[in-house]
Amino acid sequence: MKVGFFVGCNTAFNRPDLEQAVRYAFPALGIELDNLEGQSCCPSWGTMPSVDVVGWCAVGARNHTIAEEKGLDIVTVCGSCYGSLAESKYKMDTHPEIKAQVNEILKDIGREYKGTSNVRLAFYYLYHELGPDKIKEAVKHKLDGLTVALQPGCHTLWPSKVYYDKEEDPFHPKVLKEMCEALGATVGHYTRLIDCCGMGAMRSTDMEKSLKLVEKKLISMKNEVNPDLIVTGCSSCLIQFDTAQELLRSGKKINFEIPVLHIMQVLALCLGADPERVTGLAKTDVRRVVNRILEGL
Amino acid sequence: MSSDQVATGVINLSEGDSSLANEIKELGGEELMECIQCAKCAAACPMVLAGFPFFNKRIIQAIFLGLRDALLDDSSIWACQSCNRCTEVCPREVNPFEIIQAMRRVAIREFALPTLSIEGLKSLYDTGHAVYLAGAGNTRAKVGLPEKPPSTVANPEALKELQAVIRKTALADLGIIPMDESGVKETCEV
Ligand code: SF4
Ligand code: SF4
Repeated sequence: MKVGFFVGCNTAFNRPDLEQAVRYAFPALGIELDNLEGQSCCPSWGTMPSVDVVGWCAVGARNHTIAEEKGLDIVTVCGSCYGSLAESKYKMDTHPEIKAQVNEILKDIGREYKGTSNVRLAFYYLYHELGPDKIKEAVKHKLDGLTVALQPGCHTLWPSKVYYDKEEDPFHPKVLKEMCEALGATVGHYTRLIDCCGMGAMRSTDMEKSLKLVEKKLISMKNEVNPDLIVTGCSSCLIQFDTAQELLRSGKKINFEIPVLHIMQVLALCLGADPERVTGLAKTDVRRVVNRILEGL
Repeated sequence: MSSDQVATGVINLSEGDSSLANEIKELGGEELMECIQCAKCAAACPMVLAGFPFFNKRIIQAIFLGLRDALLDDSSIWACQSCNRCTEVCPREVNPFEIIQAMRRVAIREFALPTLSIEGLKSLYDTGHAVYLAGAGNTRAKVGLPEKPPSTVANPEALKELQAVIRKTALADLGIIPMDESGVKETCEV
């Protein structure tokens, strides 16, 4: 099996430990990664999508064609990349006039968008292609005894019509939960599970309002689950939960810290990755929970 | 319409601008007129929870009323998380998210866009990444990765390709960012 890894901006520049986790976990599970050499930004929402539809799709399409030429699906760990790429694909596949305009632009660089590669989120890909049981068999370490709270991430769920891998009911997501349970964790439910974390455009526009959303989520998690670890399905959520807690503590909004990791980091650890490489850039203190995973205490 | 009127909810209909709805439809918000103002989208929207004055349902309402300036003077349209909860729940398949994007497209055509968006576009053009940290090479090396990811930053030919694509889009006609060779930005966090 082989798949194209779309690394995106935030993962490559802000959290390369997450990139490293993907580069460890996929081969460890027998799946080869292609680098999709020459890929660019997805493009992110505040850029081309805010300018015009065809321009958005054209930049997206250039990325799609890199995977199409190799006959590969695209996997990503970033919700924004997942959403933007899946939406540009959906637009071009359902609107022949958009596709035609895009291909007119791509002609100049010798490319053509065909629509033959699917856009997959890394953990959905593993869930659907391997299944939780195979993943369970492959791991060296487990999450036994750990209680986790989940942050699936907006773009991993909606709009469901544009996605190849679907939750049965995106308002009651199961995949991330089943993955964590297969790894041995106890997954606690909390009221604000599917709320937005406030990262992204909201954080760029109004930091205070963005922090209010992550604060509500953290308090709901703490009171209702009291987790040892927060597991996210999206790299942007990872950055928000990992960096906001210190800001909220210094603003006296919360008085606790919960370690945060992306599901691919958790999986890489369970598969035997070097913790420094795959979690070394966390701002929250993840050492204790990482040691618990590695030592099975 | 003044910001006082927005704050008190008083709307002067005679100041409305009926061309706005047409512009929105042309810029991607084709389903605008399907909206029945039921507010299901608002009930799902994080912007409501965070307390922004305009959000999906109210943005559509303001477009119906032609309140162009009220929307352009407020930052709400730029805070939309693109999360598409609204698209998922809308019973009329309006795609409220796309309408907000279309409103951003209107704003951009009047050069009413936030500095961060301009920087993001510039960084996308110059490096291939909207979010780009020049110092990330060290961080990447620290976790055992090559200093550059296998993207346009490590591949000048690919960057040229991307730039050629962008120069053929509406962004070039709008002239919002310079598209020459100079002025590569060091860092951009959108
Ligand atoms: S966009 Fe859809 S959900 Fe929102 S108010 Fe209009 S019809 Fe209702
Ligand atoms: S896409 Fe924007 S308007 Fe729609 S629910 Fe999300 S934040 Fe609200």
